[in-house]
Amino acid sequence: MHGRRALRWFGAAALVMGIVVTLGGCSSGTPTGSTGTTGTAPAAGGLKIALLLPETKTARYETQDRPLFEAKVKELAPDAQILYSNANQDSAQQQSQADAALTNGAQVLVLDPVDSAAAASIVTKAKAKNVPVISYDRLILNAPVDYYVSFDNEQVGKLQGQALLDKITKDGNAGKTIVMINGAPTDNNAKLFKAGAHSILDGKVKIGVEYDTPDWSPDKAQTEMDQAITKLGKTGFVAVYCANDGTCGGAIAAMKGAGIDPKTRPTTGQDAELAGIQRILLGEQFMTIYKAIKAEANTAAELAVALGKGTGVPSSMTLSKVNNGQIDVPSVLLTPVPVTIDTIKTTVVADGFWTTQQILNTPALIAAGKAVGLQ
Amino acid sequence: MSDERETPTAHGAGPMIRELGKKLAQGEAGPLLVLLMVAAIWTFFQFQNDRFLSPGNLTNLMLQQSAVATISIGIVLILLLGEIDLSVGAVSGFCASVMAVLIVNNHLPPEVAALAALGLGAFIGLFNGFMVTRFRIPSFVVTLAGSLTLVGLQLYVLGETGTINLADNFVTRLTSTFFPPLISWAVAGLAIVLTLAFALAGRTRRARAGLSVGPLWSLLVGVGVIAASFAALVAVVNQDRGLPLVMVIVIVLALAFAYVTERTRFGRHMFAVGGNAEAARRAGIKIDHVRMLVFVLGSTLAAAGGVLAASRLTAVNQSSGGSDLLLMAIAGPVIAGTSLFGGRGTVWSAIMGAVVIGSIANGMDLLAYASSVKFIVTGAVLIAAVTIESVTRMRRRGTAAR
Repeated sequence: MHGRRALRWFGAAALVMGIVVTLGGCSSGTPTGSTGTTGTAPAAGGLKIALLLPETKTARYETQDRPLFEAKVKELAPDAQILYSNANQDSAQQQSQADAALTNGAQVLVLDPVDSAAAASIVTKAKAKNVPVISYDRLILNAPVDYYVSFDNEQVGKLQGQALLDKITKDGNAGKTIVMINGAPTDNNAKLFKAGAHSILDGKVKIGVEYDTPDWSPDKAQTEMDQAITKLGKTGFVAVYCANDGTCGGAIAAMKGAGIDPKTRPTTGQDAELAGIQRILLGEQFMTIYKAIKAEANTAAELAVALGKGTGVPSSMTLSKVNNGQIDVPSVLLTPVPVTIDTIKTTVVADGFWTTQQILNTPALIAAGKAVGLQ
Repeated sequence: MSDERETPTAHGAGPMIRELGKKLAQGEAGPLLVLLMVAAIWTFFQFQNDRFLSPGNLTNLMLQQSAVATISIGIVLILLLGEIDLSVGAVSGFCASVMAVLIVNNHLPPEVAALAALGLGAFIGLFNGFMVTRFRIPSFVVTLAGSLTLVGLQLYVLGETGTINLADNFVTRLTSTFFPPLISWAVAGLAIVLTLAFALAGRTRRARAGLSVGPLWSLLVGVGVIAASFAALVAVVNQDRGLPLVMVIVIVLALAFAYVTERTRFGRHMFAVGGNAEAARRAGIKIDHVRMLVFVLGSTLAAAGGVLAASRLTAVNQSSGGSDLLLMAIAGPVIAGTSLFGGRGTVWSAIMGAVVIGSIANGMDLLAYASSVKFIVTGAVLIAAVTIESVTRMRRRGTAAR
């Protein structure tokens, strides 16, 4: 009897653990072990800059941010040394990596925090050693951060909304009904995208149905769009606002499933994912937002070198203020770039974000690429 | 208590229902409770929005739940043994990702890539089964650890590009093919004839073995009810896009595994191992072989679910197989009466559970509830359903003891 009961508790515990791990897994990335600090022995007189990035699950940090940042620093200060660490989505690990960087004599910290609130203690430690901190991509809250470099996330929503509104108006559908598929309700950036889009669209179009998509899940977005179509009818909407390319893919799959040609319903996206760029090329998706990581990494590198050398902020940078709960942080907010079928070549391809070879991987895409001069 | 009276009548209503009810009736609330649950949910949403029960939306419901239902069938097999597989979500995502990479990057024919995905699923199941039987590691540990590895492998095979789009091909057609009305009716007719043939054959076999058989009219009534539900299904879907191919796939899978669990020696062995593994071993059942095979079937069905999910989305991405898929795939059969602790349950609970959970999600999306409400309601309904199921079973056991 005892053994049986124990077994049941085991089973129940297993299920709960499974659920916790699965749900947690979506939001917090995959623990894949530490990469640790890769700093080398101090070079006499050389400038030392620490770059602390948050995770490895998203491809951008290892394949874009790090190499671009390092290249720009080397260009500006050939003798500079970069202490690089990746925290694998573990904020405690990031604390130790920051400690290690400060111990190693870092003169500037470029910090993309795992946890925007918890990272405040890193800033305090750095301040005690008179080391300036640049908050990179994500804002560190309630701490005396020196500078903040990121994209203007509310602007992302505004650009999406404006592009969609212009297209709707051009199609002669001004004032008609649209569907809105927003991002994850737990993501602060998703709130900003949503607010930005609403500020443009409200009053100009009718919002027939609106969803927040847990985990940014494309599958959930597809089900939401299925239900929006059921609710409004196949001809009951003229366009779909989607917060990113993943959810847009789900919405387009739902329209195809219902027998609606996605070319007749403009859709928005974000991230310039390869799959999104390919859909734009095929005419299925109307636009995406490209956040040039190159510009972000370059700006952070220039700022870091300037602070390290004590030469002050480069005059080319326009500073605005972003409040982080404690102070107004001087910020460089880069403008994201909308991408449509006509600008794929001059944006993502020109920057080397995607190569034409990567984009054109089916006969249909090759044909579509040829029409807009991509080959 | 009223269920107590329903069960004997169900026994007389025909071999199919008797078969379906047999395992459930022994200590389970029976499918009737689940049907009542579905009826309540449907009535509620229909009152809120009269498009809920429209043919289009019911077809959507089938398409939305096909992947979960397929994965749940595998979960039922594993739960029958008293084991658990927490890697089915990750298996479905990883196998679908491998399939997409093989199709898009390696230009393999989609049919071959889909088969490779199923084969990969079978291999993962074999590994899980081996670890569980050879090293006596609890299945939840093996599959939980395995699922982390699989999520990592999924990220690895998808590489930098993340999402992979599937162009129109064999795989995407699995969920975008609808049979025209005439063929739909033919499929339903075939299903009805087969049901009748099976029922008669079963009756003859029982009679020949000297077992009691019910009157012929009750068999005909039973088959008539099933025939009517098939006809109703086809009549509804024909008003929209027609009978979805994926619906046929899911029903055939359910029928096949219902047959395996209820009519074959292997099926009886599964129930024996799940009921009491030691007793089964002493009775001469090779319990490790049974376990291995069930893990292989479970993971293969998970891979099949992943293929269907990819087919519906026409893409795979980093979050394929993630989110609450695992929870829903396990919760569905449990709501519909399959025990988490082995030895009790039916394959049909996978389908019925998927209908319950799917109807709630579908209805709440139709009404565009806020995410907060959706999470709260889904959680509350899962707990309420399992509680009702558990209470009726306790009461049943109480009356049996008296």
